[in-house]
Amino acid sequence: MIAGLVLAVLATLAFGALLAVALDGRLAILAAQGARQRVETEAPDRLNRDLAPAWYLALAAIGLSVVPFAEGAALIDSPVGIVVWGSCEALIVVTVFLHGWSPNAPFPLIGAYRYAAIGLPVLLPSMFVLIAAALPAESLSFVAIVDSQRELWNVIRQPLGLPLFCIVALALTLRGPMDYADAADIATGTSAEESGPARVLWDIARAAMLVSVSAIAATVFLGGPLGPVLPGPVWLWLKIAGLMALFVLGGRRIARTTPSRMLSILWVILLPLSFLHLAISGVLAL
Amino acid sequence: MGMSPLARLALRAPVPVFAAIGPGRQADVERLLARRGLRRALTPRDAAVLLLAGDLPPDAMEPLGRVHDQVPRPRRILRWTDRTETGDAVADRLATAWRGLCGGEDGDDDLQPDAPSNAWRGVGPHGQGGTGMMGGTPYGRPMAMTGLDIRDGLQLDRYTARLGPFAPMLPPGLVLELTLQGDVICDAGVVCPPFAQPADADAPVLCSARMLALLGLEDAARRVIRGGRPGALWLRGAVPRGLGRIEGGGDARERLAGYLAGTPAALAVPPLPELLSGLEWAEAMLVLASLPPSSILRATRLREAA
Repeated sequence: MIAGLVLAVLATLAFGALLAVALDGRLAILAAQGARQRVETEAPDRLNRDLAPAWYLALAAIGLSVVPFAEGAALIDSPVGIVVWGSCEALIVVTVFLHGWSPNAPFPLIGAYRYAAIGLPVLLPSMFVLIAAALPAESLSFVAIVDSQRELWNVIRQPLGLPLFCIVALALTLRGPMDYADAADIATGTSAEESGPARVLWDIARAAMLVSVSAIAATVFLGGPLGPVLPGPVWLWLKIAGLMALFVLGGRRIARTTPSRMLSILWVILLPLSFLHLAISGVLAL
Repeated sequence: MGMSPLARLALRAPVPVFAAIGPGRQADVERLLARRGLRRALTPRDAAVLLLAGDLPPDAMEPLGRVHDQVPRPRRILRWTDRTETGDAVADRLATAWRGLCGGEDGDDDLQPDAPSNAWRGVGPHGQGGTGMMGGTPYGRPMAMTGLDIRDGLQLDRYTARLGPFAPMLPPGLVLELTLQGDVICDAGVVCPPFAQPADADAPVLCSARMLALLGLEDAARRVIRGGRPGALWLRGAVPRGLGRIEGGGDARERLAGYLAGTPAALAVPPLPELLSGLEWAEAMLVLASLPPSSILRATRLREAA
């Protein structure tokens, strides 16, 4: 059972990351970059430079490990799964910051600080939205949250939840309208000084995180492995793939505003909105 | 010699090109790099081919060498100096160079010696020593000293650096000396004005594409240059209202709307230091992209004359 779940987590992460890179149309680009030289900046922080993509990948794996692949069967059936995922989210901000800090160059550092500034107000709505989903389940465990969606998925019961979480997902995977770390105006920001295998590894880690974030969204809002006829894991994979496609599409087609304006939007509109969402969900769950 | 499956896959990737654009060739290069099969790299680190378009003035050769040497190996430099050579022909040459690099060719060597351009004048192992712990100037870069923040009145580190002439978010040729606190521009000085570009570079299509690229809509920018619709959401809305307002020329959002509707802008732009000081980096780049290259050039020349 445990071995099967370990295999499921690793296979989902590997094939999902491959699918994410393919959806981005970057398979050939990554293959080309992998064969190129890795240029080093002057006096980089080598330890953190090498660890940043590893952390990113590890956080994706940890996030996926609390997701139930079949009813009642998560690799780590944590009674506080939401807290585990929440700490992953906070550490992603730290990881992206380290990725920008380590090359010892101006554009990556601007990207790093910018992402840290955006990251905090993104994490707050994320927590409100996830806690709102935990209320009807009366538990912080993802297994219980899936169980609570047997009659009605959270995407319908709490209609604001998934749209708000989409914004979080785009920010955590450095995509399109929320990609403040690797933006074009700072020459791809935290990645600006990276070439060759290092660039590929960061892209793969981003792809893996897309799988993980989509899995969490599928579990919390779309009933996870619940569904007729097909076995649970297949339903989960289908939902993950659908959400990944949605995030990739949104990342490509929605414009990114300036960081200061996004900060105002996050603090002034989205944060109160997510709190309202939590309050309404709380009243409904009574 | 047989190729590995990975190398065969790599061959199908669009050619990663970093463009060093010289006088008069901005429009040609922007149209060229919007083609299928080519990809404009935003940093030399992400490129394999350095495309040099036009004849550079002598003082731009040293920066070109520095950009060239930052392109990871194996790399190629490709010159597009003949104005009569068509985009098709250059695209073919780029593709050939890429096939060669993927097939295991060695590529070009460094143009410049791998040595710092300024002497080590630091004191102590990290260069920080000297008067007041920060007196050294390691490799010509003084340690950042604090200064009054222009927004909140806090004491923050000031970082001064030169950007250009090939920075992809700036008009080609423009070299700015900027003093930053975080990503807020405290001071801006024009070291070199941008290269002169023909009227074609002011085309609304190209102006809107430059803005779209900064809004994170690389694909939309390419579609617009190729004559399509941007096919993206929240275009004008993403540009803050009132940003880069110029008397008689509206703000950046209105200019983007104009470009998308096909209206060229003719503006009297104030001197760049005045325009950029106090803006955040992302805002400043968006403002610059919202101005036609010819009016930026006029604004910097005014400054020189004064």
